[in-house]
Parts: sequence; C-alpha cells; structure tokens
Amino acid sequence: MLLQVQNLQLSLKRAGKFISILDDVSFQVQKGETLGIVGESGCGKSMTALSIMRLLPDKAKLAGEVKVGSEVISKLSKKKLEKIRGNQISMIFQDPLTSLNPLHTVGKQIEEALILHTNLTKKERKDRVVELLKEVGLPRAEEMVKEYPHQLSGGMRQRIMIAIAMACRPQLLICDEPTTALDVTVQAQILELMNKLKQENDMGIIMITHDLGVVAEVCNRVMVMYAGKVVEEAEVNELFQRPRHPYTIGLLEAIPRVGERKRTLGSIPGTVPSPQNLPIGCRFADRCKDAMEICRQAQPKTLQLTDDHRVACWLYDERREDLKDDITRNQESKTTLSH
Amino acid sequence: MTLLEIKNLKQHFPISKGFLSEKKYVKAVDGVSFTLNKGETLGIVGESGCGKSSLGRSILRLAEPTSGEIKFKGQDILKFNRKQMKNIRKDMQIVFQDPYASLNPRSTIRSILEAPLKIHGIGNREERMKLIESLVEKIGIRKDQLDNYPHEFSGGQRQRIGIARALTLNPDLIIADEPVSALDVSVQSQVLNLFVELQKEFNLSYIFISHDLSVVQHISDRVAVMYLGKIVELAHVDQLYQNPLHPYTKSLLSALPIPDPSQKRERIILEGDLPSPINPPTGCAFHTRCPVATSDCRTETPALREKQFGHWAACIYV
Repeated sequence: MLLQVQNLQLSLKRAGKFISILDDVSFQVQKGETLGIVGESGCGKSMTALSIMRLLPDKAKLAGEVKVGSEVISKLSKKKLEKIRGNQISMIFQDPLTSLNPLHTVGKQIEEALILHTNLTKKERKDRVVELLKEVGLPRAEEMVKEYPHQLSGGMRQRIMIAIAMACRPQLLICDEPTTALDVTVQAQILELMNKLKQENDMGIIMITHDLGVVAEVCNRVMVMYAGKVVEEAEVNELFQRPRHPYTIGLLEAIPRVGERKRTLGSIPGTVPSPQNLPIGCRFADRCKDAMEICRQAQPKTLQLTDDHRVACWLYDERREDLKDDITRNQESKTTLSH
Repeated sequence: MTLLEIKNLKQHFPISKGFLSEKKYVKAVDGVSFTLNKGETLGIVGESGCGKSSLGRSILRLAEPTSGEIKFKGQDILKFNRKQMKNIRKDMQIVFQDPYASLNPRSTIRSILEAPLKIHGIGNREERMKLIESLVEKIGIRKDQLDNYPHEFSGGQRQRIGIARALTLNPDLIIADEPVSALDVSVQSQVLNLFVELQKEFNLSYIFISHDLSVVQHISDRVAVMYLGKIVELAHVDQLYQNPLHPYTKSLLSALPIPDPSQKRERIILEGDLPSPINPPTGCAFHTRCPVATSDCRTETPALREKQFGHWAACIYV
C-alpha cells in the first residue's frame, strides 16, 4: 500500500466559526495505480489533496491519519514533512501560470527541488534538469532552461510543472485538475505524458478532476465526493457500468456524450448545500429522487457492496428498517450532547 | 428561412505601437462566411485563441469588424448608423460566459431585467413588470426572488438570469458565448435543457460558441470548427461528428476524452500548440501540426468548399 488515508476530518474557520469541509474521508492508493477523485466545485476534492500534503490555512483543524508506506505523516512536524513534500509526494495544480514564479527561469525552478532533496553537485543538477525537460517531452531543452514562464505556452508550462513534480522521482503524484485550463488537443498530450511517466516510474497518482471523460481515460479506480463526503468508490469500469449512488447516476446522465444525441439531458435539481448549512441526514437527500424518510434523519454508513465497490446510501442498507428507532434515539442524545 | 448571412467577415486588431513601426494585426477572424436559419442552432467550436468569441462579438458589432458583410433579416447591418443599430439589437442578444461578471452586483434582478425594456422604451412600468414576472417563471426563478441581488444566487441561477435578460426583448437571435463553461455538470445540464426548451417556445436561433465538443454536439443542428480565425469545417452535426473530413476536426474529436472506460480508441495526438494568430503559418494555417501535411500545404491556402452535400471543409486533400 502506497498511501492510506483514514477518517480525514477537516474544518476551516469562516467568519469566526469552524465549518466542516471534509467528513470521514478514507481511501487508499496502490503503487502504479491512478485513483480519480471526482465531484463538483466545493465537494472537497481539492481540500482532500491539500490535507494529505498539509498545505492548509493556519486556522484549519485537521484530524485523521495519513500513512505513506509505513510512515504516518499526519503526525510529523512541519520540518520533517518538508522532507516528504516534493520528494516522496509531489503535487501539480490546475493553473500552471500562477503556480510558476514569473521572476525565475524555468531551469532554476526545477533545480530548486533538487537542491532541497538531493546531494547532487551543481553540474549534476544542471544535467538532471535538462534530462527532466526531455523526459516531459519539451523540445530544445538546453535553451529552455534559461527561459521564463511567460515565454512558454500553457501546455509547455504544465509540462514544466510536471518536470518539477517529477524531479525527485516521487512515489505519489497528486494532480489537481491538471488539464482543466488546457485545450483538448493539449490535454490529450498531457494525459498521455502522465500515463507514460506512471508506467516508467511505477508511481501512484491521485487525479482530481470534474471531468468524467478524463476519469474514464486515465483512472483505475474512482472515488465520488459530494459536500465533503465520499459517496461512492469503485473500479473504473464498474463505476461507469453499475453506478449505485443516485448522485453518481445523476452525474453520469447529465453529461452530454459525443456519438449519442438526446434532446434532454438528465439533470439533478437544486444545488449543493453550503458547508455552513449541512443537513443532519444524507447530504444529497434534498436533491435525490429516491430519498426516503430515513435519508433526512441519519447519515448513511459506507457499505462494501463488493471487493471493489463501496457506497454510502440508505437504498442499499438493509438495516434501514431496523435502525429507524435506534437512529431517532441516537439523534436525541446527540442533540442533548451538543447543547 | 435565412435569418443571418455572414460573408467574408474579418476582424483584425492592430497591435503595433507607434506610428513609424510596421503595422501588425491579430487576425482574430479572417474571412468567415456562413448562414443561419430561423430556429436553427449553429455551434462554433475551437480551441482558445481560434477567434470564436471575437466572431460572436463582431456579429453584434460589439467590436467593429474590419470588413465583410453581415446580413441580418436581409439588411446589411454593417452599413447601419447608431440609431438603426440600437433598433436592430433588440432582435439580436448575447449571453456571456461568466455569470458572476455579467450581472451588475449593485442592481436587483428586477432592475437588471427591466433595463433592456427601459432602454428601448417598451411598455409602462406595470406592463414591464408583468413581462418580467412571466419571463422569470419560465426560466425557473421565483417571482419573490426578483428583488434579490445577484450574489444571492448560485452560478446556475445567475446564468438563467443572464438568459432571461437576453430574452426580455423577444429577440430572433441569441449569441451564447461559452454559456455553460463556468458551471458544474449537474447544473450545466439544467441550463442546456433550458436553452433547448426556450428555443422551441420562442423559435429562437442560436449561435452557440463553446470549446466543449460534447456540449456543442448536444445543442447544435450544424457545427462550424474554427482554427486560427478561419472556419475549417462546417456541416450538419451528425455528419461532422460521424464523418469528420478535415484533419483538424479528426484530431480534435479523437483527443476528446470519452466518459466510457470500455471504449478504447486510436488516438491522433497533435504535436505542439496553436500557433500565434499574429504570425499565422503560411498556406493552410494547420500545416504545422497536421499529421498528413505535405509541402503543398505550406504554400497553398485552402478555401472552404462543399465536399459533400452540406458538408464544407477547407483542406486540399479532402
């Protein structure tokens, strides 16, 4: 197991109050595997990535365990964590222009990671930078070292970001919407490059995206998030062929597909609840066409349907009838506790 | 019935500084021609910088075109003066991409929607309110939300308000410039469905500009593919997606990630990026990235020709 995330809980301070951003997020990534995290804006997919790296604002409350290999990194000091960030785990962000420093040459920015994490000599570093630029498919690598980000196109900049992330041969690469700002033809180039690098280095990749097309193209497993919770996770073919959670089903019906023309697309009524105002029950209940009484009263537990498919939905929970009374009792005690 | 006819439209933006230096232009739109029928949707698709937004804006004369002809309802609107133009704009409206930037944050929805009616002196206040109220119901906003401000609405709702504003004057043509790009999938499908419903109800014609090939396929009757300011292919939507002729369209379609992991396809992966529109390549502008280009493509500029019935392409090898 490369990465193990257990019960991640994250709250951020907004206007003097802590609001829950992530609730009980758990997942794993194996070596050589790509895990996709999908969901709409505000579902917490980027925050999950930032929590693993602990790149969070000062006032954040984070609980849960993050393990890389056998090392628990969620308990490490900032100093020690820095040894891991950019070394064992790297990250690529959506917008390559704002993630690169406009005042430094491309070469210098790639070299930075090597200075921090390796004992290479200056000469060796220079060679390694050129080698990395070639590896990510950039032409005229020797000259590009001396160029600045504004001299490059969007696709080239994203390749530079990948070169920086790959500098120390990480075991895990976290990509947050890496192709969203790029055109389709350039997106195809970048996705191909990432697949190539994954195979050559036997890395694990976490691919955060809102694009189900990208997921189908590059992921082995997919995790669907909604309002800070994991609602479904499955092997990629399984998820597209047998989606179980009503939200996943709705998402798959809402995308227009090339080659298939329907005049009306499926749609999910309403909008995502705001984190300040989350319901007690299932967070999707208000928009769900299959919502039952119990969905509004209690949060569904995560059920393991098969080895490679889990879902958090009352529809599949046979205990929902028996649990009814327990739940009302639980809620009463909870409300008394919180007072 | 033809509503709009564009002939050889050019939109060149000067970029040189100082009057002594040689004049340079960005040829954002470089000789585009097409027609649009009443009740029809023409999708315009292309990558960033291909000129699709500039084309939309120059049709409305939001930016003055360099040359060409725009015939709207049989009249050449490029010859219109300000007053005539104001009058004809009632019939041609636009919906913008960013629902956050295109609504005035200091105005209520009521005054945002009333503004176009006031400008064109339509009805008295009471009549205007009646019209607005019936309109917002159609687009799924409640009457009692009319006195709220834009920030009180979600992105999808704001885009609905933007659509309602375009509809207040009962136009014939709506140019929609990336109207769903800023929205999440579940909301995007709501807004796309709304576009389809409104078209049926008001017999609207759309020019639907988007970079998203699957959205364009969903909404359009005919599709034009643009590359560096020119239309490289134009056809009925099914023809274009099932039997693309131009190598650029082919590679664009093959690059599109398909949301179905069981479908594995042969990919044509293009090299490099879109060349700069300041110094576009000679001959066919696509020859620098084209997988089948020959030396002829460097010198010969291909014209957009009808290669099959209703299927136009600009490539010398098609």
